[in-house]
Amino acid sequence: MRTAPGSNRTVVAASVLAHAPDEPSLRRAVTPWGSFSWGYSDVGADIFVGLGLVLGAAAGASNLAFLFAGLVYVCIGLAYTELAAAYPVAGGGQYFVFRGLGDIFGFIAGWAILLDFTIDIVLFAWSCIDYLSKLAPMLSFTAHPWVHFVVVLVVILGLAVLNIIGVRESSAFNELVSGLDVVSETSILFFGFLFAFQPQLLVHTMQSAWPTPFNLMNGVSLAIISFVGLESISQAAQETQRPASVIPRTSISLILTILIFALAYSNLALGMQPWHALPLDAHGHQQMLWHYLGNEDNNGAAVAVLASYVPYFGALAALYVPVLGAILLLISSNSGVFGSSRIAYAMSGTQLLPSAFQRVHPKYRTPAVSISVFCGVAIVELIFAALPSLSPQLHALYAHLFRGESGITFLGDLYAFGAAASYSFVFIALISLRFNDSQSPRRFKMPFNVPFTYRGNRVEFPIVAVIGFAGIVSILVFTMITHEIGRIAGPSWLILGIFGYLLYRRRKRLPVFRSQPHDWRKAQINILQSAGELDMMDEYLVNVRRMDERRHASSFGPP
Amino acid sequence: MKRLLRSEGYARARLFNGALFALLGTVVVVRTLATTGPSWGAIPGCVLGAAMIALGVLRYRDYFGARGRR
Repeated sequence: MRTAPGSNRTVVAASVLAHAPDEPSLRRAVTPWGSFSWGYSDVGADIFVGLGLVLGAAAGASNLAFLFAGLVYVCIGLAYTELAAAYPVAGGGQYFVFRGLGDIFGFIAGWAILLDFTIDIVLFAWSCIDYLSKLAPMLSFTAHPWVHFVVVLVVILGLAVLNIIGVRESSAFNELVSGLDVVSETSILFFGFLFAFQPQLLVHTMQSAWPTPFNLMNGVSLAIISFVGLESISQAAQETQRPASVIPRTSISLILTILIFALAYSNLALGMQPWHALPLDAHGHQQMLWHYLGNEDNNGAAVAVLASYVPYFGALAALYVPVLGAILLLISSNSGVFGSSRIAYAMSGTQLLPSAFQRVHPKYRTPAVSISVFCGVAIVELIFAALPSLSPQLHALYAHLFRGESGITFLGDLYAFGAAASYSFVFIALISLRFNDSQSPRRFKMPFNVPFTYRGNRVEFPIVAVIGFAGIVSILVFTMITHEIGRIAGPSWLILGIFGYLLYRRRKRLPVFRSQPHDWRKAQINILQSAGELDMMDEYLVNVRRMDERRHASSFGPP
Repeated sequence: MKRLLRSEGYARARLFNGALFALLGTVVVVRTLATTGPSWGAIPGCVLGAAMIALGVLRYRDYFGARGRR
């Protein structure tokens, strides 16, 4: 760990400076349920998008695709839980990587998260309209692509304006929608499993519709998008009451809830006998439920379609699930606008991005430049995703160049790329911080650790982080192998960002590849003090003093 | 809302819900194994059941942990 107390060049992370005693700080008002619902409104919306995409790609092995991605997600969740409880600041994954691996990797992780947030804005706004189209067919993407495109564009512009004038959905509204959604999804699964699930049908579907290895990899790479968003809990850490004890409880609950929903929905979709007959396919043949959910007409709103075929409950679900899903997806899309501007603002404060991203609107005091830039990027992504359906010539060109990937699949694979790239760095940062910051108390640790001594300090090597890293890297590789556009667009985004970063650091005469000196000790004391975790702060100070005494003794030798 | 979330009734409802999850998880594991036998196809069902049981155990620990603190 590099420390330079008292140095003029020392930089303390902006998010940490935010709670220096004489400066305004974020109010700690997020309760355990608030913390859960904050995360749920982000991750919980993902299954609404992911289910149809994965069924379309992995067919009879969709449950295995969700299982593989889900187990990787459990490892990611445990890593985020440990780090957010030890460093309860607003930066989330970007801050952990910045702190563990230094400036340039902090930038790359933050830049990958920014890609995810911009995709988040488009993908969830797109899917929100898909869900509403189940009640208002004129919004259907396949039947009226221009109407769909214009409405999604208006939603994105509307969210940008609302964020610039500083309107956010209230925390209570967030909690209410999350609560309703948990009850609703549990009811759908309860009625589905109780009255329509047939294990023999599940086994039959898995055997008869087993995908090719290519499609299975494609399915796994899309399944990870059902688990993206744990970032939200760690981003809310700076506003959570007693974060070191609350975050582990809420995170573990959230991880299990999301895993259960993803596995349950995929098993139900493969093994459910629909309550009433499905429409015939384009060739006049009968089709299976999973096939119907995964086709282009329904893959954007698969949960609503599945719910409408559930016995007894389906008639009611067909009316309200599209609306509830659309609200949850809109909240998630808004979290993309809010999150991207906040991350860019924090990165600008630590001189990873130009200071323009810190500029606030003179009247509304919101980071208007960041919001405008990243909503602009989101609109470019929307145009690229919608073009093939808007113009027949471009459809032919896309089919030739990109194997005819649909708009929503393009957004999904970029989302998977950004998430896999940033999570990979988080695992490495966790291992690095275990070695280089063993003094910081950890109220929660990932299980299965190997203890040993490193530079005179007792450290624990996290086996689960290595397993998680291998899992997420394999998903990154699957994304690169199976997605023609993601293979080009994802790395291009990173390369473009790194190039800009190098130019900016050089112009500012800052270290280009190395990090600036950071006073992490002071930062950690501020973090724990501001979190009200005074026991942890005392423990940290004792650990630091002991380490200094040990170093002092070893440098002067025995008397 | 805050009063509801802090009430004993809500805590008991969560405990009941957790017990239901654990029971359902056990049923899922048993039914999956009874249908498919110990094969690759049984893994998603068994993991789903295990996650449900884990959520139930977590709720049980939360409830009795909070009572212990009080």
